[in-house]
Amino acid sequence: MTVVAAHEPLPAEVDETRDPLAGLGVLVRFMLRADRVKLPMWAGGLGVFALYVSIAVPAAYGDDVAAATQLFNGPVGRMLTGPGYGLSDPTVERLIAGGYGLYLMLVAALMSIFLVVRHTRVEEQTGRAELVRASVVGRHAGLVAALIVATITNLVAGLAVFVALVAVGGFALIGSALLASSVVGVGLAFAGIAAAAAQLSEYSRAASGLAGGVLAAAFVVRGGGDMPEEGGTLLSWFSPLGWAQQTALYVLDRWWPLVLLAVTGLVAAALGLVLSSRRDHGASFVPVRPGPPRARPSLGTPWGFSLRLQRASILAWTASLVVFGFVMGLFAEAMLDAADDLPEVIRELFGERDVVNGYLAVMATLMAVFVAIYAALAVQNLRSEETSGRGEALLATPMSRAGWLALTLGVTVVGVTIVSAVVGFASGLGAALTTGESGFVVDVTLAQLNTVPAVLVILGLAALLFGAWPRALPLTWGVVGYGFFAETFGELLDLPQLAADLNPFGHVAQIPLEPFAAVPVVVLTVLAAALGTAGVVLLGRREYAAV
Amino acid sequence: MAQRPAIETVGLVKRFGNVVALDGLDLVVEAGEVLGFLGPNGAGKSTTIRVLLGLLRADEGRAVLLGGDPWRDAVSLHRRLAYVPGDVELWPNLTGGEAIDLFARLRGGFDQRRRDELCERFDFDPTKKGRTYSKGNRQKVALIAALASDVELYLLDEPTAGLDPLMEAVFQDCVRELRERGASVLLSSHILSQVEVLADRISIIRRGAIVETGSLSELRHLTRTTITAELAHDPGPLAALDGVHDLERTGDVVRFEVDGNRIETVMRELAALGVRSIAAHPPTLEQLLLRHYGDEPAAATDAVS
Repeated sequence: MTVVAAHEPLPAEVDETRDPLAGLGVLVRFMLRADRVKLPMWAGGLGVFALYVSIAVPAAYGDDVAAATQLFNGPVGRMLTGPGYGLSDPTVERLIAGGYGLYLMLVAALMSIFLVVRHTRVEEQTGRAELVRASVVGRHAGLVAALIVATITNLVAGLAVFVALVAVGGFALIGSALLASSVVGVGLAFAGIAAAAAQLSEYSRAASGLAGGVLAAAFVVRGGGDMPEEGGTLLSWFSPLGWAQQTALYVLDRWWPLVLLAVTGLVAAALGLVLSSRRDHGASFVPVRPGPPRARPSLGTPWGFSLRLQRASILAWTASLVVFGFVMGLFAEAMLDAADDLPEVIRELFGERDVVNGYLAVMATLMAVFVAIYAALAVQNLRSEETSGRGEALLATPMSRAGWLALTLGVTVVGVTIVSAVVGFASGLGAALTTGESGFVVDVTLAQLNTVPAVLVILGLAALLFGAWPRALPLTWGVVGYGFFAETFGELLDLPQLAADLNPFGHVAQIPLEPFAAVPVVVLTVLAAALGTAGVVLLGRREYAAV
Repeated sequence: MAQRPAIETVGLVKRFGNVVALDGLDLVVEAGEVLGFLGPNGAGKSTTIRVLLGLLRADEGRAVLLGGDPWRDAVSLHRRLAYVPGDVELWPNLTGGEAIDLFARLRGGFDQRRRDELCERFDFDPTKKGRTYSKGNRQKVALIAALASDVELYLLDEPTAGLDPLMEAVFQDCVRELRERGASVLLSSHILSQVEVLADRISIIRRGAIVETGSLSELRHLTRTTITAELAHDPGPLAALDGVHDLERTGDVVRFEVDGNRIETVMRELAALGVRSIAAHPPTLEQLLLRHYGDEPAAATDAVS
């Protein structure tokens, strides 16, 4: 499984046999067919998102846009949404582009990452690609086909966004076209980045993780750049998401930053093609080393095994969230500085210290959403064990279905608590270092631990779905995504109380802005325990791998 | 055999939607015997084993495994049995050695020395990561983990799929050792010759039900051997013999099938006709099913495996 660098040129007889793109058309059609449900869902989802804000924002704030923009116009708002071009002189369309544009772009980027990895590394890892490559298919056909499908999907999604903005929102043509193009541009840039990332690891999860890491870094960098002032700073220009937002939608309507996105996508895709031609099929650039011939005693116990399966995941999540949290914590100082620029009303309402506290509370909740992704993945992995057939051999040992789930839940609860504590500590440390107030370390650690019950509700929900109706397990992601959406936009969009209540993250006290509240902690913990227990009981009763 | 059977099922029925995977299956594995569980792909062998493991619940009928209910008492029963699936999947981040130890330790009784000895006998390198093993080597992981466990019952679902003939021979030795120790074995396969050498009795499953059960000699009436021979004289007298079927002649070479209980007569006649060369093929399961039940090979793939 080592890297083969040299390719002896074959004697060229028939050109067709050397065509690196042979079979491209068939593969593109095949991928579109295989994803006939997923792709319309993603692209349509983007369109519906744009449609929703085009209707909801004017309805809620049509007569008082200025009030709404205050949420986005502050440093926290800019960190979470973008440079806020034109928000000092707001219109509905500027509010939508400035406040929600970034999230359209994030969704497009995630769509592209999953799409490209799904059709490249996942196929290779499962061995399906071997069958494809053994037929008359060129070396690059698979990767190029995945990129073409990504392009088609992004264009369709962009068109849907454009139509929603213009036809339903009635917004300016140029700005709307540019917003849609920015979404497409980010999607394509990350399709290229995913194509390169897919070459680097043998495992699809690591490939998605790597591309997702680039996306997270892009988010953080432009957040740091945008926070200090309207229009962003030099730092904003070091992020692909920053470029897309520097188009200054409905204000300056600049086209040229999109060129940077296009170049990034093309260069990354070319890098992916070069890398793929320099490695063996199914291999990566990391040589495979022999491992231990015997299992350590701990691995032979159900606990040890469950922990071992999650070990890499816990470490990766902790490491990336620690960095993320620490950087977010460092921004606390910028918050203090920027508090001076806040409108008088808000400063009077909160006070300078509270602006920072509010910021840290929002960050703790957002971090909790990410921790919840780890928790949901733990249950998702059990489902993969079931569908891959590995679980069958395990359950032929004296380990019951219910016991296995209970054990995994136990390990995950411990994992969630540890990750939360460490991430809270890192965020608090970042805040303490820049502001010089050591109290933040304890405050933010507690704030993060305070969110654990909400994360456990997500875990419990995943367990319940796995036990009762495993095919519906992806619904968990819907709830996590909804939590993120409600945390970010819920207040602004004035969600009905019932809808707001459905967001588990919305119930925890906003420490350090608010004091600790025991009731939500107890209620959420009891709810999580009930959901988890129901899942365990139901799994014990249902058949394994039957469907 | 005064002991109660290791496995006894009565009228098992299992449906997946409209597909009937098990259709009144009656299967008995006596204590201490090796039962060959034979059937074409999709006949219901794996479904049967999954019911016996308590992973699936039968819609109708009764199954008793080591005196317990496979669904209700799954955990306690699993302490006393070992299972080898036909298609072994491993964790990409665990080595083969770690996976063996994992299965064996989860099961309980685990002999480290025996495990190492088996690794050696099966010529298995336990230091590689899960994904880098070939199919045969993945199969060895499950085999070694099962054979290293000292249990009463072994459920082996096409256990040698992907093994080379040398390893197949090692496997056969191991199964004989299990029987000497008094363990019971359910050995499923779709290849008759594989089961023949090991099994005390054979049960044939077809479309979710057992159609024949018996020792190999009892099933002899079902089997026909295919003989190809080059003869010095005219093979006319052969065709007239009782038990000879489908005789074809190409030059000096004749090819025919002969009933299992007529071989002796036929061999004497062949000797008289001046045999220059002879090749005999044991009957395949497909031939057998085709002859007795008129199954077309395609029909067997209808059901769920």
